[in-house]
Amino acid sequence: MIRSLLAGLLVAIACGGASAQDGPMQTILQEQAELIVESSRRTVAPAIDAVAGSGLSQAQTVLQVWQSREMVRRTSDGRFFQAEPAGGGVFRMIDFDTGETIGELPSAEIEQIRPNSGIQGLIGTALVRFQLSDLNRATRQAALDSIQRDRNADALEPLRGAIDSEDDPGLRAQKERLERLLTIAFDEDDAVRVTAIESLSGDLGVDVRATLTPLVQTRTAIYTGEPPASANIARWLEPGSSDLSIDAAYDLLVADGLAAPRIGPARIHETLTANIEDGRIGGVPVEILGTDAARADAYAALVAAGRAERAPGADDIAAAVDAHRFAEIYGEPSAAVTAAAIDALDRIEFNVALNQAADLTLDALSLASIYFLAAIGLAITFGVMGVINMAHGEFIMMGAYTGYVVQLFVPDHTLSVLLAIPAAFAVTFAAGVVMERLVIRRLAGRPLETLLATFGIAIALQQLAKNIFGTQARPLTAPDWLGGAWVINDVVSVSTIRIAIFFLALIFLALFLFIMRRTRLGLETRAVTQNPRMAASMGINVNRVNMLTFGLGSGIAGIAGVAIGLFAKVTSELGNDYIVQSFMTVVVGGVGNIWGTLLGATMIGFLQKGIEWANPSNTLAAQTYMIIFIILFLQFRPRGIIALKGRAAGD
Amino acid sequence: MNFVRYSLLTGAAVVGLSAPVLAQDCPIKVGVLHSLSGSMAISETTLKDVMLMLVEQQNANGGLLGCELETVVVDPASDWPLFAEKARELLTVHNVDVIFGNWTSVSRKSVLPVIEELNGLLFYPVQYEGEESSKNVFYTGAAPNQQAIPATDYFLEELGVEKFALLGTDYVYPRTTNNILESYLMSKGVAESDIFVNYTPFGHSDWSKIVADVVALGADGKKVGVISTINGDANIGFYKELAAAGVSADDIPVIAFSVGEEELSGLDTSDLVGHLAAWNYFMSADTPENAAFIEAWHGFIGDDARVTNDPMEAHYIGFNMWVNAVTAAGSTDVDAVRAAMYGQEIANLTGGTAVMLPNHHLAKPVLIGEIQADGQFDIVSQTVEVEGDAWTDFLPDSAVLTSDWQNLDCGMYNTQTETCVQTLSNY
Repeated sequence: MIRSLLAGLLVAIACGGASAQDGPMQTILQEQAELIVESSRRTVAPAIDAVAGSGLSQAQTVLQVWQSREMVRRTSDGRFFQAEPAGGGVFRMIDFDTGETIGELPSAEIEQIRPNSGIQGLIGTALVRFQLSDLNRATRQAALDSIQRDRNADALEPLRGAIDSEDDPGLRAQKERLERLLTIAFDEDDAVRVTAIESLSGDLGVDVRATLTPLVQTRTAIYTGEPPASANIARWLEPGSSDLSIDAAYDLLVADGLAAPRIGPARIHETLTANIEDGRIGGVPVEILGTDAARADAYAALVAAGRAERAPGADDIAAAVDAHRFAEIYGEPSAAVTAAAIDALDRIEFNVALNQAADLTLDALSLASIYFLAAIGLAITFGVMGVINMAHGEFIMMGAYTGYVVQLFVPDHTLSVLLAIPAAFAVTFAAGVVMERLVIRRLAGRPLETLLATFGIAIALQQLAKNIFGTQARPLTAPDWLGGAWVINDVVSVSTIRIAIFFLALIFLALFLFIMRRTRLGLETRAVTQNPRMAASMGINVNRVNMLTFGLGSGIAGIAGVAIGLFAKVTSELGNDYIVQSFMTVVVGGVGNIWGTLLGATMIGFLQKGIEWANPSNTLAAQTYMIIFIILFLQFRPRGIIALKGRAAGD
Repeated sequence: MNFVRYSLLTGAAVVGLSAPVLAQDCPIKVGVLHSLSGSMAISETTLKDVMLMLVEQQNANGGLLGCELETVVVDPASDWPLFAEKARELLTVHNVDVIFGNWTSVSRKSVLPVIEELNGLLFYPVQYEGEESSKNVFYTGAAPNQQAIPATDYFLEELGVEKFALLGTDYVYPRTTNNILESYLMSKGVAESDIFVNYTPFGHSDWSKIVADVVALGADGKKVGVISTINGDANIGFYKELAAAGVSADDIPVIAFSVGEEELSGLDTSDLVGHLAAWNYFMSADTPENAAFIEAWHGFIGDDARVTNDPMEAHYIGFNMWVNAVTAAGSTDVDAVRAAMYGQEIANLTGGTAVMLPNHHLAKPVLIGEIQADGQFDIVSQTVEVEGDAWTDFLPDSAVLTSDWQNLDCGMYNTQTETCVQTLSNY
């Protein structure tokens, strides 16, 4: 029984595909098939309009399916369907008109329609009217995003109609704001527009500026007599003033066809060439026409003979310019609207400038904390112990890779980052201890050899990382709660990860101070660095203290590596990027003083951001200028911002 | 025992006899000049593996001119002057018959004098800035008109972008490409004030200020798009910062010329979804040739997770063209092979046919893909084959130049004065 039913169904389907009349939507799609398949933003609009304007209840589904690239065309007969993957490279075909599954097809027998994001935007705009009052919040949000991206007059009425029914406060605020923006751009009542402009005055949003700026854009207009009453004149341009030279004014007249064009050298040359007779032009031998002046004379002779067009002279130009008036006029016809827009833009620009300064300060602070974090380990090994460790950057890298490895085993990102911090400390602490025992201790007091040896170790560690982890950048993904940004307004925002780094830097500053000032290790370290022999005679195990201190500095570098890996990338070159900045930070701040390192990082961070702001087109130049500044700075303060004095200075 | 010795002797005699007939020193040596260490190893190691695979395949198919092919791999260690030294070593010590190598333009510039002095043969597989045509180099990657210009057209026409941010890493490729794009955009009526240019160092990671600048470009109501020639690792921080600033591909699309499957593999691509890349090849291209290539690659490398990318296809085309040219010429002599190269045709992995032009560039289709969550590209646009142009038409100094080694024997020919400016590429 069931089997015969199924057989009947199959027959029905087979017949349906071949003979039955297409549904109304399929008919529309078939009419527009060429445009849909061509899939170009320039030509696709009629197809979208046909579907959206069909008045069919399935229009919304079709547009959504089309937009999300789930629409396919059956190769055998060119009909369009919604495709749902059924596994194994097979797709379930769903008819648009009936909503029923009509069978399954392998991917080889269908052609996927792939609208690019330009077309997806157009479809989104067409979908707006269906989606604004949709029951699903995400769909309404999508509609608002579409309007936001493509603000057009058609959206205004549906949007106004959808505000009252909105019960989600967030979406309601968005709708109201968008309504005001559209009102400014498209409403017909100038008074309503002015009110809308005033309500948004001082708003920092890029979208507000994007709406207001076109209103105050001007173009140059030319009038013979009084301007028409409809012209919204920004200002008159006086020919001959610095705003508009006489020549430029005449060129405008020529461009508008209001004056005769100038005759340039090319035109003179052309006319002369056309008038050569027996090697002479108008009686002048061709041979002497070697200069522009001579050619101009010959041309004048042709004009006198009535064989060429007269070139406009200086007095012609002056007369033509005098006969016209020039003005900059707004594209927007209403003077009240432009006045309100200018007023609002002035206030916005002032606000934007203020907020940009705040944003720049936050950026600089964040950069400073990154440099500080990278340099704090070095402040211990180089600043306190005086060891030039060129492999410091590679300890940062090892920390970052440790974070990556931990993440391989612990998929939960929050937990893995929390685990990665002690793990990175342990790994780099151990590496630092090994390096101190095997290399640095044996080269004590020989800075040049230490520099070369640690530089060699740095290269070896880099290559080791390449061999173990490959050359690709590895992901160290921040937990979601660190992924976003703290957005104060449209201008000022800081990504959360940078805020976390800022606080991490503060924590390490406190930790450093605590260890150096409040613990036995700190006390012994200070004693050993000031006078190792005296310290040894007091019963301090100098070797052990040196080893632990170096390990501590390396361990902190490892933790910095986790933080840096979270906001940048984990590669074998990671350390390279920070080693120079780290040394600069320590040296500029003053060797041996943590407050100096802090000041050094702050100075370099602010300096770099300041130069970047002054010269936005070349970030590399900013770094060059900064290094030049630091060289100069060290000429005048060779011991850095905070110079150690007295016995602590060592030499 | 005797029999074995006899047959060995006979075999040796046969080889000894047949070799002079073919006038070919066996084995034929293929030099591979790709960095296996240093900063460029990230991209170039894969190309070395592709060359090993292609040579292995060719040997399995009976070698070339009756000879085995032998690869000579050297490591120039991402050190530009070392590239010249290693190229000299390949040509004079190892006596290779052809070199496949280089990635960065600066390394290619470093190799050019050596290869021209010793009359070597180099196949260069990476998209580059053009403005060059060496007698001894075949450029199997894209010239600007095969990548940058079609991508810009796509921005202008399909996405309706009106304001452009040209962001690049500070070296020769982005700077030249951006110069070309700037004058191209102006020729398309984009005002100079609507073009924002920025250069950053290699490995740049502090993108917050630049991203804020780009977002602020939209303040006059025009649609903003980013054309990115940012190279290597710096991309990761850039896309992360874009996502952190809440900018999606629908708001400000980014089209990249240096981000491919290899760069995306192992990355969290959720921040990049919907952004674009322009290449001549995407792994997602649905053709039988591509499926066979990917299968061979996975079999050779022993890891099904490895991706294929555009420069790999360029080596595939370049190597097969060279094999055909050597077969046609009957010798590996550089001049004979070069003469046989012109007009060589190989089926692209993306469909259509790549043809070697007299200016040492290929005719290839241009593809534009949107980045998907799985690190692959959804191909949203594919052109017909575009002929690579060594000298761009959009810089006044270069517009008058043309390159034609087949008929004019000149890579820098001035079409106005009808003279050859120079034949060496030491510009």
